[in-house]
Amino acid sequence: MAMVLYHGEPNGPSLAVLAALAESGVAVERRRIHLLAGERHALPGVTEPLARDMGIEGEGPVLVIDGEAMTESVFLAQFFDELSDRPSLQPRDPHAHWEMMMWCRQITERLSPAAALLGNLAVSRKGLATMPDGAFSALIDRIVSADLRARWEVLRDGAADPAQVEDSRAKVSQAVERCEGKLADGREWLMGDLTIADFETYAWLAGMQRIVPEAFADKPLTAAWLARVGARPSVAGALAEADGEAAAFWAPGPEINRWG
Amino acid sequence: MAGVTLYHWEPNANSGKPMLALMEKGVAFDSHYIDMLQFDQHRPEYLAINPQGTIPAMTHGARVLVESTAIMEYVDEEFPGPALMPDSARDRWRVRWWMKFMDQWLAPSFSMIGWSVFVGPMVRRRDPAELEAAIARIPLPERRVSWRKAIHGTFSEAEMAESQRRVARGIELLEAELGKREWLASDSYSLADINGFNLAYAIPLSQPALSNDEKTPNLLRWLRAVYARPAVKQCWALGRTDMVKRVAILEQERI
Repeated sequence: MAMVLYHGEPNGPSLAVLAALAESGVAVERRRIHLLAGERHALPGVTEPLARDMGIEGEGPVLVIDGEAMTESVFLAQFFDELSDRPSLQPRDPHAHWEMMMWCRQITERLSPAAALLGNLAVSRKGLATMPDGAFSALIDRIVSADLRARWEVLRDGAADPAQVEDSRAKVSQAVERCEGKLADGREWLMGDLTIADFETYAWLAGMQRIVPEAFADKPLTAAWLARVGARPSVAGALAEADGEAAAFWAPGPEINRWG
Repeated sequence: MAGVTLYHWEPNANSGKPMLALMEKGVAFDSHYIDMLQFDQHRPEYLAINPQGTIPAMTHGARVLVESTAIMEYVDEEFPGPALMPDSARDRWRVRWWMKFMDQWLAPSFSMIGWSVFVGPMVRRRDPAELEAAIARIPLPERRVSWRKAIHGTFSEAEMAESQRRVARGIELLEAELGKREWLASDSYSLADINGFNLAYAIPLSQPALSNDEKTPNLLRWLRAVYARPAVKQCWALGRTDMVKRVAILEQERI
């Protein structure tokens, strides 16, 4: 089973999957792509592109097996974990597993869209704004999903919605508070044992320290946990491969909840 | 074994997912009908179980579980009975992918239309002061916004058009996927089918121009195959509103 993982710089969903892959020890060919150049939408050998085209996560990593594109960082992490013969990153007990999945869902539904919005406004917008019109059109013409395309267009040309920005900053603070609360009993990892939740949460939160620093003030347990996750060889190894500061790489992510 | 209690509304959308999963597994449970149209889910008795005021919720002994898709995964892992997740890791990935796509992209669009067609008109007949008091009891601020829009019918034209676009696109994607294999995400019946049926069972009735035997033969074949399952019949028999009785369209030979 030939597997190729196309991933961006080690931040956000690409980092979560690279870390989980390294923890799993599963043999996969990795190819780094330039997400902000739209390379994700022109991958070779993809015959079943549905998950790449319509994934909720936006510009996350893509695993290709037998032409089928596979996406969504939590589920790719589970996939590698389930192929692995190493200790699992998913609790065996069904209730503990439910808690981990609920935590990851909170992160991907609430933190990820917020972090992606703030990260992209802070660092990606400038580069896209200076891209020539023709080059940008060619890039977004390849994007199949109309709503993902719209997120690229708004990022380049649209005005940032102050209410969304404020709400996103609040969501980052809420995520940090949830981490601080979870770690209050002195546990080492968010779910007790090391799980996918640690990598998924770290990957979206680490880059927010420079953008929403006040969210991390007086949160010593979260700071220590971030340092512990960052020191895992799987994470440190991925970060060491960054072409610059890893936390400064963002590409359009999940949409902000349409229901308000 | 500790007892299971499920707090649910109709066999439809989120409530129907754990109802059907429990029935497919053969797990006996106490059924507590929470009448969403009477705002039962925001009453203190229910908030004591699920402070977020969302339906469904399940208790298993002292454990309280929320979020319909996550509850289904728990049910499948915790109880004996037929496996509702496939054996292969890649197939399990596909089940999870489809459930997230439906939960976060497709279902909100269906429900925006459903709320404006069913829920809004049904509750709007009531006393405005009573409605406002009911809204004020909703714990989650974003749910208050949604309920106001649903009750007063103030989803914007652009929001409704986007939801309609997504529903049409979703029907095309389901049809294409079900052309590849017997069930939605793998060669065996899984949680993705339970999730999908709850979302899609009334499509041929609500979107007749987009979904019928001629235009979407694979979607119709799949809907009928799920509907033929005894657990599905048992589950939909618990429905009380005309909304879920729409499932009877699947008994027609030609749609």
